[in-house]
Amino acid sequence: MKKHVAALMVLFAAASWSMLFAGPEDDRMAFEKYFTSKFPETPKHDFINGIYSIDPPSREQWLEIEEFPPYELSIDAGRSAWEKPFANGKGYADCFGDGAVRGQYPYWDSGRKEIITMELAINECREANGEEPLKYGKGKLADISAYMSFMSRGQKINVIIPEDDPDALAAYERGKQFYYSKRGQLNFACIDCHGSGSGNLVRADRLSPALGHVSHWPVYRSKWGNMGTLHRRFGGCNRQVRAASFKPQSPQYRELELFLTYMSNGLEYNGPGARK
Amino acid sequence: MMKKTILLSVLALVLSFSQVSANAEFEAAWKAADEKRMEAAAVGYEWRDTKKFLKQAKEAAEQGDLDKAMKLVAKAHEQSEDAITQQAREVHLWSSRVIR
Ligand code: HEC
Repeated sequence: MKKHVAALMVLFAAASWSMLFAGPEDDRMAFEKYFTSKFPETPKHDFINGIYSIDPPSREQWLEIEEFPPYELSIDAGRSAWEKPFANGKGYADCFGDGAVRGQYPYWDSGRKEIITMELAINECREANGEEPLKYGKGKLADISAYMSFMSRGQKINVIIPEDDPDALAAYERGKQFYYSKRGQLNFACIDCHGSGSGNLVRADRLSPALGHVSHWPVYRSKWGNMGTLHRRFGGCNRQVRAASFKPQSPQYRELELFLTYMSNGLEYNGPGARK
Repeated sequence: MMKKTILLSVLALVLSFSQVSANAEFEAAWKAADEKRMEAAAVGYEWRDTKKFLKQAKEAAEQGDLDKAMKLVAKAHEQSEDAITQQAREVHLWSSRVIR
């Protein structure tokens, strides 16, 4: 009897400990399980296809679009930019090798104490070589990102939060808090639409599940009529609940990217993508 | 003749004083609302349209429509107060939504 009580107490302590201190990996497993249970028809690896992973009619249309992908011009433009040397004779390859590096981003830089995204790294490569930084969000930067993402297709999402660096965990936690906090005049959190609301119709749009949300950027969106980065999308989703958006590559959006990408660890990068 | 002129100029003076004070009142209200907006922004919770309302308020005031201008300022101010309250609430509530 005493033994049982002791065992129960240990169990209880362990359970409350893990509830108070659930780490990123516990978060990720719960996240993944939530969506794979909510959409049991969808194979886990297919969540990288956003709404098309859970909505067969729109998947048909999308598969047709993918036969002549609207992002192809952007990959080509990115490739040309990649091959054109900087004024100092160097090029992107001096920073990124063959460009197939998507799987290394985003990462926590313990020396600099900040999150490095691929788009940030592209501009830092340019500036280190005496070139002007490009505008974040769309345009030339999205083209280079599209080319590099294309070169990286099939790489695994694998964000690492270094355990020996509390600042890394704090940045992850801020991204997580952002994701789950309601904001804007309409008082919605990301998770309201892309968690419990995923699969529902909002006006003409069906809401995609959050799992896999980060895999396929930049995206050619028919509504935009051009390419946009993940942070451009973040901005759009903030503004549609009537919250002011943050700037692409702001600390807030980099933290959000770190958290959301961690949630998709183990899935594949398949950018660039096409969406409605 | 003389009396009438004096009366008119006194009237004009009073009117322009009240105009000046209404303008000053607007300027002060606008400044307070903009400070509230910055307070909301500082905690990362500014709403999308607040800045737009403040801009429209300035425009209305420039066109002499102080009534409209004051209404817009009040709307902007209220939005920022609500945003600040929302932030204070969410600091406690967000974790209840985490998928576990
Ligand atoms: C009011 C509902 C709503 C909220 C809240 C919302 N979104 Fe969205 N989001 C949408 C809609 C609608 C789309 C387009 C259809 C789709 O793919 O879900 C979308 C698309 C996206 C996409 C692109 C999906 C893809 O497959 O390309 C990402 C990423 C995203 N949202 C992230 C976020 C983040 C991060 C937040 C919180 C800051 C957020 N969303 C908040 C409605 C919302």
